[in-house]
Amino acid sequence: MPKITKTQLTAMLLITDTFTLLCFHGQISVLTITGFLCGIAVQFIMSLPLAKLYSSGGTIENSGKIVQSVYLIYLLLWGGTLFSMLWRASDVIYIPYENSNGIWGKLLIAGMIALVCLYSSSTGLKAVSRSAVIAMSAGVISLLIVVISASFGSDWNNILTTKTSDSFMTEVTRGFFLSGGLGSFAVFLSYTKGSPLKNTIYYFTGKIILTVTVTISSILVAGGIMKITEFPVVTAGQLAQPFSVQRIDSLFLIIFAVFAVFSIAIQSLASTELLIKIFPKFKKLRTTSVLAVMVGTAFIFTGKNNSFINIIAIGIILFLLPSAILLKRSLSK
Amino acid sequence: MQQQDYKELSIIPDLKLNIKKIKEISGGSSDVLINEFITGNIKCALICCEGMLSTATITELVLEPIVNIDTKKDSHELFHYIQNFLLLSTDRPVATEYDSLFRLINSGFAVLIADGINKALAFGVQGYAVRSISEPSGEGNIMGSHEGFVETIRTNMSLIRRRIKSPELVMQLFVKGEKSRTDLCLCYMKDRVPSDLLKRIHKSLDNIKLETILSTGYVRPFVESENFELFSSTGTTERPDVLCSKLIEGRVALLIDGVPFSIIIPKLFCESFQTLDDYAFKPYYSTFIRWIKYFGFLISVLLPAVYAGIVLYHPELLNSTMLMLLVEAEQKAPLSILTESLFVLLMYEIIREAGIRLPKPVGGAVSIVSGLIIGDSAVESGLISTPLLTMTALAVISGFVVPELNDTLTILRLSFLIAGGIFGLFGISILACAVLVNICSTEDYGFPYTAPLSPFRPAGLDDTAIRADFPKMQSRNFTVEEYHE
Repeated sequence: MPKITKTQLTAMLLITDTFTLLCFHGQISVLTITGFLCGIAVQFIMSLPLAKLYSSGGTIENSGKIVQSVYLIYLLLWGGTLFSMLWRASDVIYIPYENSNGIWGKLLIAGMIALVCLYSSSTGLKAVSRSAVIAMSAGVISLLIVVISASFGSDWNNILTTKTSDSFMTEVTRGFFLSGGLGSFAVFLSYTKGSPLKNTIYYFTGKIILTVTVTISSILVAGGIMKITEFPVVTAGQLAQPFSVQRIDSLFLIIFAVFAVFSIAIQSLASTELLIKIFPKFKKLRTTSVLAVMVGTAFIFTGKNNSFINIIAIGIILFLLPSAILLKRSLSK
Repeated sequence: MQQQDYKELSIIPDLKLNIKKIKEISGGSSDVLINEFITGNIKCALICCEGMLSTATITELVLEPIVNIDTKKDSHELFHYIQNFLLLSTDRPVATEYDSLFRLINSGFAVLIADGINKALAFGVQGYAVRSISEPSGEGNIMGSHEGFVETIRTNMSLIRRRIKSPELVMQLFVKGEKSRTDLCLCYMKDRVPSDLLKRIHKSLDNIKLETILSTGYVRPFVESENFELFSSTGTTERPDVLCSKLIEGRVALLIDGVPFSIIIPKLFCESFQTLDDYAFKPYYSTFIRWIKYFGFLISVLLPAVYAGIVLYHPELLNSTMLMLLVEAEQKAPLSILTESLFVLLMYEIIREAGIRLPKPVGGAVSIVSGLIIGDSAVESGLISTPLLTMTALAVISGFVVPELNDTLTILRLSFLIAGGIFGLFGISILACAVLVNICSTEDYGFPYTAPLSPFRPAGLDDTAIRADFPKMQSRNFTVEEYHE
């Protein structure tokens, strides 16, 4: 497997994080942002054993098939979650053909995304990581346009006045749940050049900046109608206007589609990598099988709240397993 | 007689049998001339291919000195005398097999065989009709040289050598093509080229199994990756000055005899937007022109698709004046926007192809008929809307800023149009992802096609995002190895 740079790793992971934010369901307030930041801080602290494991020369791949299988299952489930997020969020985004053809339209759109993901994954980590940097750069420019548009004529009082009914702990939990690509982070950190700890800090710094930017601009634009908004970030993107006569919601559609493709492709790429390690003889249709399982999982997850399961899973893959492997390594020495 | 029958066959020390064999191998071909004569009291024959050599040169420099040789003891002494005491030409290879003998004859050498000796002396007296050096037709240039490559490989080699007089410039001639026996020349700067790149290119060239090599397209698949790549990871140029600039950057070039283009390995995406004129103008103007080209490329690929997508599915992106204008224009057109756009683009491709293939005077007439008469009447009759025709024309013209990518642009433009026409901006985005991944996966010999953008090399932006001053660029001492992954 080729080595990637920390910028490429961060771009890949931030794309998934952005997509998760775009599909965020519920209200956003200053309390939510604080909760998100605390959630990210917890994620960072929990990922330190993983960074330590990689720094000491250990990897997930050297830790046996059971450990690898746990990570694979998480990635497959998360891929399915991303598909179900896509379906839910696409209800409020105008996609030609999909909106007028019901379930068949949805399936066709999911199929198209899966097909591009299949192709992307088949080109390998190098190609996907390189294209992720370009996609993320384009995404950042587009987000900046949305943010600048949002800041014009927005009611800055929204930051103070927008409230949510949830408690601080609920917001921290929601922030922690917004894990984006932590599964792929665990896999791809070992393929990244440089110090694992520095790469971890680099990624989480980017994640904090991104989360704050997106959530604040969402409050600025959609703060007044937050209570009746199902997907605040999507609504903010749709309502942001750079000029009084110019709408840009279609720009948001482009970001949504591109990030959806890359988010799922990255999960499928990481899953395929683990699948190769677990079943070296399983060579044909690996990526297709991975994507098929993800789509199947999406059917199971659609309309269900998996926050609790996800939090437990993140705890296991980010903290428990790396800590256990580290402990085992130090005891064996 | 088949090639495999005489490939390993050695020349025999009997003139009559040799001549018989040569006639047999050549099948009595009329252009193979065998002139028998006696010199130094030994029977000899000078064999050449009609039209491949200079009559004046062969008469003055070869025939006259050879026929005036004094009596020699035997053929060995005669050949020793000719080789060591007569400087009949600068290029004087020796052939011991019929295979190499025929390769030399067919390359324009005059070959001397004699009775009693099992080898042939060849004299480089090539003098076939060649096209003179002229301005390249496909790579326009204002401030640079007006010389372009020609079909003769040795002339092309001299065009490069004239520009790089350094002994570090290496040109390796070799032959490929079972039937065509085409001369190929690998050029590189030995102090700049990455050794691994050179080694791997040699390995790729060893794998060439072709009967003939008639254009760069025959060789390129052998030196490119086998994966499906939308854009070619090797470049071509018909300009010796461009080639020299690439060699200085540590790239490898491949010249092919009979082809006025050279192949450059490796090639990067950003290089398609660079021309020699960029370095002749002021940096700020060159930077401006370069960005025009980037926009031109995007317009060429995306404009018809975005137009169809927006008008059909996302009219909210248009302001009211624009919307009313387009609605009014499209209302008159009988076909859907997608069908209309496809029709116009395909018609353009047909007209373009007809213009290229027809004789030049007729080609011009085709352009007039298609552009003025068909285009005007199609709009007048209401078959095609004016805004759509304008968008298509803009897209097509924008593609001309990067003529090198025209083939790929054409296919991408049509694909994006279909995606945009059916699925709107969503379809365009999805296709853009696939294209982006494909471009990023393009890599040959470890050189990513998208460098220096991704993988990101900030120093490389000096000649991509902007065009920095020469002293700054020169101080970097850039070689392509910087981008190797």
